[in-house]
Amino acid sequence: MSNHDPEPGGPSEDPSSTVANDLPDLTDLADAPLITYSSVSEIRTPVKLFGEICHDFMAGRELAWRLFIRNLRGLYRQTFFGLFWAFLPPIANTAVWIFLKSQNVFSIGDTGVNSTVYILTGMILWQAFIDAFLSPSKLLNSNKNMVSKLRFPRESLLLVAFGETVFNLAIRIVLLIPAFLVFSVPLHLSILLAPLPIMGLILLGLAMGILLLPIGSLYQDVGRFITLILPFWMIITPIIYVPSLNFPDSLLNWVNPAAPLLIVSRDLLLYGGTEFGFLAIVFGLAAIVLMLVSLVVYRVSLPVLIERMMA
Amino acid sequence: MSNSSEIVLDVNHVWKVYCRNLKRAMWYGVRDLGREMTGQGHDRTITALRPGEFFAIKDATFQVRQGECVALIGPNGAGKSTMLKMINGLVRPDAGKISIRGKVAALIELGTGFNPILSGRENIYINAAVLGIGKREVDRIIDKMIDFAELDHVIDDPVKTYSSGMRIRLGFSVAANLRPNLLIMDEVLAVGDVGFRMKCFSHLRDLINEGVSIIVVTHAVTMLRRVATRSVVFGNGKIVFDGDLPTGSTIYEEMMNVPSQSTEKRDEKDASTKARIEDVTVLNEQGQPQLEFETGETLRLQIQLSASEEILDARVIAAMCSPVHGKVASMSTAYQDFQMDLQSGQRTIYLEFPKLPLLIGAYHFNISLYGSKQTDFHQRRTIQGNFRIVGPPLLSDGRGLGGIFKLPHRWDSD
Repeated sequence: MSNHDPEPGGPSEDPSSTVANDLPDLTDLADAPLITYSSVSEIRTPVKLFGEICHDFMAGRELAWRLFIRNLRGLYRQTFFGLFWAFLPPIANTAVWIFLKSQNVFSIGDTGVNSTVYILTGMILWQAFIDAFLSPSKLLNSNKNMVSKLRFPRESLLLVAFGETVFNLAIRIVLLIPAFLVFSVPLHLSILLAPLPIMGLILLGLAMGILLLPIGSLYQDVGRFITLILPFWMIITPIIYVPSLNFPDSLLNWVNPAAPLLIVSRDLLLYGGTEFGFLAIVFGLAAIVLMLVSLVVYRVSLPVLIERMMA
Repeated sequence: MSNSSEIVLDVNHVWKVYCRNLKRAMWYGVRDLGREMTGQGHDRTITALRPGEFFAIKDATFQVRQGECVALIGPNGAGKSTMLKMINGLVRPDAGKISIRGKVAALIELGTGFNPILSGRENIYINAAVLGIGKREVDRIIDKMIDFAELDHVIDDPVKTYSSGMRIRLGFSVAANLRPNLLIMDEVLAVGDVGFRMKCFSHLRDLINEGVSIIVVTHAVTMLRRVATRSVVFGNGKIVFDGDLPTGSTIYEEMMNVPSQSTEKRDEKDASTKARIEDVTVLNEQGQPQLEFETGETLRLQIQLSASEEILDARVIAAMCSPVHGKVASMSTAYQDFQMDLQSGQRTIYLEFPKLPLLIGAYHFNISLYGSKQTDFHQRRTIQGNFRIVGPPLLSDGRGLGGIFKLPHRWDSD
C-alpha cells in the first residue's frame, strides 16, 4: 500500500525540497513522559498543579516575547503617529481634569506640589492599574482562536499582559520628566522605592483581571458592568483629589483595592514619604496571594471555558 | 522504526458531555467552574445528565501505536473533533482516561497566531514560537522553510497580501518542522494546490517511516489512502468501527446513506397495493448472504416480490448507487427481455453481476417495480441490498487505479 511505499509517490512530488532531513531526532518513547487526561480535578494534586504552572511559565517565555513584539509591531505599524499614541491617553485625561479644575468644577485639596503634576502622576498610575486589570480578558479574546485550537503554554499570555502593562507604564513615566522639570518638583530618594508599590499595583490589577476572566468569558454582563463602573471607580480613587485620613472618608481607601498602592506609589514619587505605609503593605501582600490564587483559577478554568465558549 | 508495538496513545472508555443550549451551557459552565475549583470534578457517567445535555462521545476506546497513521472519520457532529480536542488536552474528558506517551503536536488551523500586518518572515518566528520551536532553531532552518513554502519572492511582504493558499503553505512549512511522537491533524490537508499537497503527503510518509504516530480527522477519505493505515469510524459519538481504512471508509460512505423522507413519502403515496418488493438481499457466488466483496468477485442480488393479483409483463428496475458518487448503473428486466408475469403470491428473481468491476467503496440498490405500462407504478424501495467492496487496496500515489470502476483496458505504443 502507498503508506508503506518508501519511494516518492505522486507525479508532482519533489523529495529534495522536503524539510524533514534537517530535523531534531524523535524522542525515544522509553524516556518520554506520560501525559494523562481524566475527569479528576487538577486542583486535587496542588503540588503537581503548581509545578505545571511554573513549568509553563518557563516554557512560555520565548512565546510571550514573540507575542509581545508581534502585538507591539502590529499596534503601531499602520499608524502615522506611531508610539505617540501610547502617551496620549494620560495627557488627554489630565488636560480634561486640569481644565475642569480651572473652571472650579471641583477642589483638589492641598497637594503640596503643582496640581498638574499631581493629577498626571495619579492618572499614569491609575492607567497602569486599569491596563493590568483589563489586559487578561483582552489578550484571551484576541488570541481566542489560538487558545481554543492549539495547546501551548497559556501562561505566556499572562506574561504578555504583564509585559504590555509595564511597557505602557514605562513610556508614560517618561512624561513625568518634563513635568517635574517644568513645575520644579523636588526629587526625593524615595523615588527609588516607588517601583515596589507600582509592581504591587500592577500585580493586583492583573490578579483581579484574571479572577474575573472565567465568569467574564461566560457572561458578557461582566464586561459591560466593568465599562459602566470604570469612570465611577476612577472618581472614588484619589487621583484628582487628596486622600482623606479622617474617618469615615478614609474608609474609602480600605474598600477600594486600587487606592492604597496608588496613593503610596504617588507619595513616594512626589513627597519622599507616605502615611499609608501599613495599608500598602497589607494590599501588597494581598496582591501576591491573589496572584497565586488567580494563576490556579486561570489554569483550572481554561478547559471549561474552551469547551463552552470557544468550541 | 524501533519498538513499533509501543502504544503512543491510549484512549480508555472516554465520555464527553456537551450542551447545545447557550444559556444553559453558560450556567453549567459557572457550576462546573465551581466544581473544578473545589476539586469535585468527577466521572459524569455515574450522575444523571442535566437538562439539555447529551453525550458527544460515548465510551470511546482505541489505541495508536508507534508509527501508525490512524484516520478518524465519520459524519459531521459524530465526535471526531471533540476527540481530537481531548487528545490535544484542550478540553477534558468527563469520564475515562486518555494517556499519551511522548511529545504531542497539533496541525490544526495552519498559521494560527499569524498577524496579517506583519511580514511572512516575522510570522514564521511567531508561528514557530506558538508551536514551541525556538528562535535559534528557526534561524537555522528558516531558509529551508521558505523554500518548502515556495514563498521566497514574497516572504518580506505583509501576510495580509497573501492568498489563502500561500498562508496555508507558510503554516505547513513551519509546522513541518515539528518532531513529535504523536501528530494530531484536523482537515488541514483538504486545502492547497495539488503539487503542494503531494509534498505534504510525502513529508507525512517520511514522518511515519521514522516512527511518528499520526492521528488525522478528515472528510476527504480518498486522499487519506495516501498515508493512513487504519481508520476509527465515529457515528453519533460512538466508535462504530476500528480497523483497516478501506472497510472503514466504506462504512463511512454507508453512514451518509440517509434516505430522503420526502421522496419516501411520495413513493409510498404513489405506490399501488397490487404488488410489493418484499425483500432485497445481496448474495455471493455460492448463494450465501454476504456484505463485503473484493473487486472482481461475483455478486448476486436476490429480489423477493409479491402480488395480490395477476400482473402480466411486470418490470423491475435495479439502480446500483454509491452514496458518494450517486447512481453507478441501472438495469431493467425489460432490457434483457426477461419476461416476468407475477401471479398472486410470492416470486423471487435474481440479478447476477459476474466479476464485479467496482473498486473500494460502499454501494446499495434502489429497486423499483412497475407493471407493463409506463404509468403502472407499484413500489420503489431505496437503499436496499447494501454491500461493500473492501479490497484489494488502491494505490493512491499515482501508481494504481482510481475512481469507482476497474475498466478493462490496455496500454500500448506504436
